[in-house]
Amino acid sequence: MRLVLTALMLVAGTMPAAAQWLDRPWPDIPRTADGKPNLAAPAPRTPDGKPDLTGLWNGPVPRPPYDAANAQPWVRDLVQRHHRDYFRARPSFLCRPSGPEADRSAGWKRILQTPAAIAILNDNQTYRVIHLDGRVLEADPAPSWMGYSVGRWDGDTLVVESNGYNDKTWLSADGRAHTEALRVTERYRRTDFGHLQIEVTYTDPTAYIKPWGVTANLTLAADTEMLEAVCERSSEHWTGSVSDAAKSAVTVTPDVLARYVGVYTGLWLTTPRTVEVSLSGGQLVAKVIVGGTIAGDESRPLVPQSQTLFDGLGLGYRFIVDDRGVATDVEEIHISGAWRLSRQR
Amino acid sequence: MRLCLAALVFVAGTMSAAAQWLDRPWPGIPRTADGKPNLAAPAPRTPDGKPDLTGVWNGPNPESIPDPAIELPWVRQLVLERQRDYHKDRPMYKCLPSGPESDRFTGWKRIIQTPAAIAILNDDQTYRLIHTDGRALEAEPAPSWMGYSVGRWEGDTLVVESNGYNDNTWLSRYGQAHTEALRVTERYRRTDFGHLQIEVTYSDPAAYAKPWGFTANMTLQPDTEMLEAICERSSDHWTGTRTEAASRAVTVPPEVLAKYVGVYSGNYLSRARTVEVTLSGGQLIAKVTGGALVDGGEIRPLVPQSQTLFEGAGLYYEFEVDATGAATALVQINITGPYRFARQR
Repeated sequence: MRLVLTALMLVAGTMPAAAQWLDRPWPDIPRTADGKPNLAAPAPRTPDGKPDLTGLWNGPVPRPPYDAANAQPWVRDLVQRHHRDYFRARPSFLCRPSGPEADRSAGWKRILQTPAAIAILNDNQTYRVIHLDGRVLEADPAPSWMGYSVGRWDGDTLVVESNGYNDKTWLSADGRAHTEALRVTERYRRTDFGHLQIEVTYTDPTAYIKPWGVTANLTLAADTEMLEAVCERSSEHWTGSVSDAAKSAVTVTPDVLARYVGVYTGLWLTTPRTVEVSLSGGQLVAKVIVGGTIAGDESRPLVPQSQTLFDGLGLGYRFIVDDRGVATDVEEIHISGAWRLSRQR
Repeated sequence: MRLCLAALVFVAGTMSAAAQWLDRPWPGIPRTADGKPNLAAPAPRTPDGKPDLTGVWNGPNPESIPDPAIELPWVRQLVLERQRDYHKDRPMYKCLPSGPESDRFTGWKRIIQTPAAIAILNDDQTYRLIHTDGRALEAEPAPSWMGYSVGRWEGDTLVVESNGYNDNTWLSRYGQAHTEALRVTERYRRTDFGHLQIEVTYSDPAAYAKPWGFTANMTLQPDTEMLEAICERSSDHWTGTRTEAASRAVTVPPEVLAKYVGVYSGNYLSRARTVEVTLSGGQLIAKVTGGALVDGGEIRPLVPQSQTLFEGAGLYYEFEVDATGAATALVQINITGPYRFARQR
């Protein structure tokens, strides 16, 4: 059977956090009595009195709910097609920049602020520059992966307007497309020493009826360093699709499925992972709760490929059963191997 | 016939410069009486009196190649293997970061300097960070593509020491390998407003008997913006080797070859290019000088595939001849198409 490898995303997304071995105390930051960084201290300011966003940040990726009614028909078609293809054309899976994709507003990043420009350096070796020198947006910039950004201060909020994106990037991990006319508005607020909130709004009337967006909540990653997470293996060679999996589906009787319902936990790489398997309308659904990298949960409908092996949107799930057919464990099959999660209840 | 695609590098390397359409006057820079940026004005300084390297820079790739005698045998062997394979495993051809490769010290880049760190943002969306907060190098950093860098001021010279490189990158476009023990020392001097000199030294005793290096000369690019140059097509699918070209070689009599010797010039994309064809030891050699990309020109030995068509290190060259067999023009065949260069002498 061909197991498809959306799993690569998880490998790429989690490795740097798991491998974050560096323990490097930062000098001159506010600390609590016990010596820990005081994340609730006031936000630092630059000599000219503006909030200083400089620092190393990380936070869970926001997964905005999909409002199909707000998407134009061509976007809905594309979202469905990307879903069928296990999202393999997602720019980050192809080792391309994520551009304005919602996930890229969070994750590991370093911000460097000067009066004239802010650089945002992402752990995947992409970056953005936000010009603060008072210039206005280009009327007709050359389309690019990372866009063209200008910022201005609105009180203590940095308001960033961006345009000049190419139309190869997505706005969300589930394949929401956009056109070259996309405008992105961001509002950055460093609410205290340790917290940065970014409100992102996407405006693209030929793709979405109304503007929509996400909020990313980042936390200062004090006393450590950011590690590189360069994409080295593209998804070009991934095979299979949801419809392939549906075609090879077998029938598993409801009483067998019922024996797999439960909560399973274990480790994936070094990250704790919980999978909650439930039965809904005669189909098993795996709800995956990933430790810390995704805000909210992801749901994977399980399509039976045998009595114990299921396809879940590109990941394989194999239930290990006792002599009564009751599941004791589930193996989640990634490109990195099979990860065994034991049943808790 | 299978045409080989080392030519991609020229596309990737030249497009951004050729497409540099943005005309954006920079405010607040020194200008001459006629309003042009005054590149000979004094270098700007930061509030604490250090030279400020901030700016958008560009410069020709240095012709950096060590004395083959200092290459340890395993390096020499890899250099020869890579030459046979048209350098198709060069990281940038595979859409991977160039890391410490000499060409990456030049080309389009934006430098943003803050007291605690300097960011160097390359047009291929890779970046480096140089910590200037007084920290020492990590004794045992996690190997990465772009390395780990610390800098300190020695008078008006910024001295940068780097380690922590993985061994996937090259030190020159000709395939000079290095180990994870590589140390790179750079000396940055902004000699005036418009000029930045970078002296680079590679030390890697397990690969080279002595340190070696080169000097890069960068010029400020005022009144414009840097454009993105993202690698979107990897060399994974390139075919052919020099050995194959040699095995298909035909014999062309010396008197025919002699009729091709001369100087040809024309445009490659929007850039002037000159090809000087000479005869050396019975073989034609093309020396290609094209705009500002490579200092001193590149040498391509021409392997005859027919009486008029020659293979030249991955590019093809076809001579157009008159009734006497004397060449009137040279057509250089790149992946982007043929480019005709008329004979000048």
